[in-house]
Amino acid sequence: MSRHRTSHALAILGPELHNKLPETKVLLVGAGGIGCELLKNIVLTGFGHITLLDLDTIDLSNLNRQFLFRKKDVKQSKAMIAAQTAAAFNPNVHIHPIHANIKEPQFDVRWFQGFDIVLNALDNLDARRHVNKMCMAAGVPLVESGTAGYLGQVQPLLKDRTECFDCLPKPTPKTFPVCTIRSTPSQAIHCIVWSKSYLLSQLFGEDEDSSGELDDAEKQGENAQEIATLRKEAQAFKAVRLELRSPQSSTSNGRDAARMAFQKVFNSDIRNLLSMADMWRSRAPPTPLDFDAIMDGSFTHNKKDITNGVNGKGHTVNGDGNAHASGSKAVEKLLHSSPNGDARNKKGLKDQQVLSLKDNLELFVSSITRLAARLQAGEDTISFDKDDDDTLDFVTAASNLRSVAYGIEEKTRWEVKEMAGNIIPAIATTNAIVSGLIVLQALHFLRKSYKRLKNVHIQLKPSVPLSSISLSPPNSLCGICRDTYTILACDPERATLGDIVSGILGGVERDVSIYEDKRVLSDPDWDDNNERTLASLNVTRGKFLTIVDEDGELGTIAVAICDLPPNHPIDSPPYILPSPLPTPPHIVKPPPPAPTTPPRQTLKRRAPHDDDDEITEIEPNAKRAKLTNGNTKIRPAETPLSSPSKRRKLEEDGLVLMESATDKLDDDVIEID
Amino acid sequence: MYVPYLLLPCIIHVTWGCSHGSISCCEVRIIKLDAPPSHCTSHTQHASCWPSKPNMTDQVPGNKSIPVQITEDEAAVYDRQIRLWGLEAQQRMRNATIIVVCLRGTATETIKNIVLAGIGKLIIIDGEDVTDADLGSGFFFRDEDVGKKRVDAAKARVESLNPLVKVETIPTYSVLEREVVDATLRDADLVCVTDWRRDDLIQLNEVCRRLGKPFYAGGTFGLFGYIFCDLLNHEYIAPDRSVTKDGPKNVRMTTAYSTLHMALKHKWSGLTKRQTKELNPAVVYGILAVWEFQSLHGGSLPDSSEHADEVEAIANKLLSAADVNKQVATAVPRTLVETLSTTAQHEFSPVCAVVGGMLAQDILKALAAREPPIANFFTFDGDTGGGTVCRLNMP
Repeated sequence: MSRHRTSHALAILGPELHNKLPETKVLLVGAGGIGCELLKNIVLTGFGHITLLDLDTIDLSNLNRQFLFRKKDVKQSKAMIAAQTAAAFNPNVHIHPIHANIKEPQFDVRWFQGFDIVLNALDNLDARRHVNKMCMAAGVPLVESGTAGYLGQVQPLLKDRTECFDCLPKPTPKTFPVCTIRSTPSQAIHCIVWSKSYLLSQLFGEDEDSSGELDDAEKQGENAQEIATLRKEAQAFKAVRLELRSPQSSTSNGRDAARMAFQKVFNSDIRNLLSMADMWRSRAPPTPLDFDAIMDGSFTHNKKDITNGVNGKGHTVNGDGNAHASGSKAVEKLLHSSPNGDARNKKGLKDQQVLSLKDNLELFVSSITRLAARLQAGEDTISFDKDDDDTLDFVTAASNLRSVAYGIEEKTRWEVKEMAGNIIPAIATTNAIVSGLIVLQALHFLRKSYKRLKNVHIQLKPSVPLSSISLSPPNSLCGICRDTYTILACDPERATLGDIVSGILGGVERDVSIYEDKRVLSDPDWDDNNERTLASLNVTRGKFLTIVDEDGELGTIAVAICDLPPNHPIDSPPYILPSPLPTPPHIVKPPPPAPTTPPRQTLKRRAPHDDDDEITEIEPNAKRAKLTNGNTKIRPAETPLSSPSKRRKLEEDGLVLMESATDKLDDDVIEID
Repeated sequence: MYVPYLLLPCIIHVTWGCSHGSISCCEVRIIKLDAPPSHCTSHTQHASCWPSKPNMTDQVPGNKSIPVQITEDEAAVYDRQIRLWGLEAQQRMRNATIIVVCLRGTATETIKNIVLAGIGKLIIIDGEDVTDADLGSGFFFRDEDVGKKRVDAAKARVESLNPLVKVETIPTYSVLEREVVDATLRDADLVCVTDWRRDDLIQLNEVCRRLGKPFYAGGTFGLFGYIFCDLLNHEYIAPDRSVTKDGPKNVRMTTAYSTLHMALKHKWSGLTKRQTKELNPAVVYGILAVWEFQSLHGGSLPDSSEHADEVEAIANKLLSAADVNKQVATAVPRTLVETLSTTAQHEFSPVCAVVGGMLAQDILKALAAREPPIANFFTFDGDTGGGTVCRLNMP
């Protein structure tokens, strides 16, 4: 062991902080792009006890930036390999790798409290929000980070001192109206979503009986003609599904099933849609495709210029012009075999070449053949995975065929992979810079020099590539960090909801509603669950009971459920109340808004959104959202659908329950979702 | 004399458009290049007009082999970055040879990043042995390497980062001496010198100018760091992000860089208060003062608070000589001077990561001829995490 290994660090940090580092316990969540870089930095800096957690395994496409991994490590646990490689950088530190999901119940608030600091190196919104909430509940400092391409950001967070991750609304994943996807696509992404989320699951997903859904839609007064069409569609899919799963399909190499599927979705369905003349008054009608005509080269499109279709624009992702990519054996075969393969791009990578219409059809048939063979071989269902060549080929071919039918420009397999797989470009340098910045902020936390904390953005501005800005105080309306958190050790199998709530409230009678996440468990008019155990209500370790004051006078209490200590006497109550009991602050009610102003976000809790795992949100120049902006969705208390009285009460209060996301709202009502 | 240089052979032909008056006029299309734009009649005088330089498909001077094409297997590894900078940029990196001088913390980070990104060949020049203190930021070294040549200890670990990159090492600085330096740098497409003395940087920069090689210098002083570059006349393609409709539009730009020698004579006259403040002149002159101190002390960096008075005096002298807006700064703050004086000779892994990350990213941008590189002096303040770029002796 080297005496001087840390001599530089000692000079820079000073003896006090330097001597503290070997005892410092740090949780590093994520061993991916940022995680590998960050682990290296904290190991070299000398953080003594590092817990490294990641649920993922190593992929080939990680190797351009996750420098702790080698080709031989592909498919191994990221946390394990990263810990193994980085341990050699400094034998004085202890790394505890955990191959698991941070949202698992054993990682409860008490577990978080065991760390001096938490560092996020995550790639999805859902996990970021979860760790943020746990750190707010545990009162542990958190340094949050993210990168996308050349851009990145670092944000130090600590309850009551800084904004939390949820104080500013985050952009939500883009969604498309169902009818655009189902019937009237106008962009390639619509066709890709259709292929990936609709067609693939209709053919290879779970067998869902959609008749009930259609009955409901009919009751709600949806277009009867459209529903009849959808019913017919559902019937036809059943036949294709049967064919795909019949043993004959293996003898015909799945070609018959592919032809049936093609005939249905690219011919008869489109004919049906064309019969709805209303739909095509203001938009160009699609062209039904003809299997044989495409195969023998005689197919003609009733559009003049398909490549400059509805959104005819350069088909490149990165503006490189010669967009081209990697990997598909099927695509390679097509390019070699097909005499009428597109001659536009002969250079570059196979996946970046544009396929001809016939190539796409061949790929459609071959991908269905391969997928059908997998069903024969015993796979129950197949869903989209960007790294599963068969599903990517299928989505590429099907979306391009649909694009041709609708006069939309086709995409290369490379582009389809990026769009369908929500791939965010990633490079080593941005991750390296961000990880260095994370440690520098973390050191301010460890020194408790909160005034020196900064948000740092990597940005494209030439004169200020690293912008360092002061932190904002917590948003007084934040539904996460304005709650009063407390820890309750209990046995959920024995503790009842009523006992816990009255215990936490210290016997003080007040009107409260109780939630777990988005579920209402009780409210002042509905106490049916009070005698039930927490376990029977699925309120278990790692979850939160949320106690909301109905009069809006006191802040919300969030009770983190943890385990009882092992030596807890069996004959004593099955819970240990926190001491002291939580004392939520009195709420200063804002003055009633003038009638002309848009609704304010007056309720304390904002429902966490369900977000796509793949989305990395990053706002390098995040501007504070205007809470009174008419476009801002207002999300008050949790969805109260499970409580009839709650619903009635809300309606009395002038609130409207929304049945579907597409319902339109007037400006003066509040949307609940 | 300026020798026209080319970074790399180019696989894809690019044409340009040209209109006079604005440097950002030129639109890039992917069509074969064989003639200057017909509407441009004065392209020989006009900097952003293309054929003032040889056709990019010409071979680079020197005995450069036929450019290596990216294979499908390589593309699978580089997938996430090709999606950012495109295949052409990746090809250019793939065919580049980079020399990195002095294997301390800044170089360690820079090397990791450019090797991962997939340059063609890396040549590391370092004449020193691994010390205990090198282990603090040098993750290519292990305890048992102390006493070995730095390049010998690091070579296999650098290679293992990316087997597609060739790695050569030269275990002596003597190859940079006047008589042999030309031969040493001849095959390089870019030279990067880290944690090096200012006066020697000035000399190497002059050599690189003479040979037509883009030149980078970078390093850290404790919590602070810097990057300087002289890319001669650098041509690149940049998306004009001010055009929001239909996404960014590509424009061809040319930037004329300054040598370090001339850059150090830069005057800040004419900048407004706001412009000056944004560039954080105190950090800039703190770092320049450390360089000057080193020059005055035979290569030794300040290493105690006893040096603070001298560093402070130098910094303030430079600041006032540079005519920095007096409403923003008349002196470099004492705390900054003291921090620099006590920590300048130390290196710290997180700071190396930031500076090495910026440096590597900029080298890659310069190689790819995409996106504007640093122009031309970046400074980093590890206390705030802020980093700014000032244009020293550049328009």
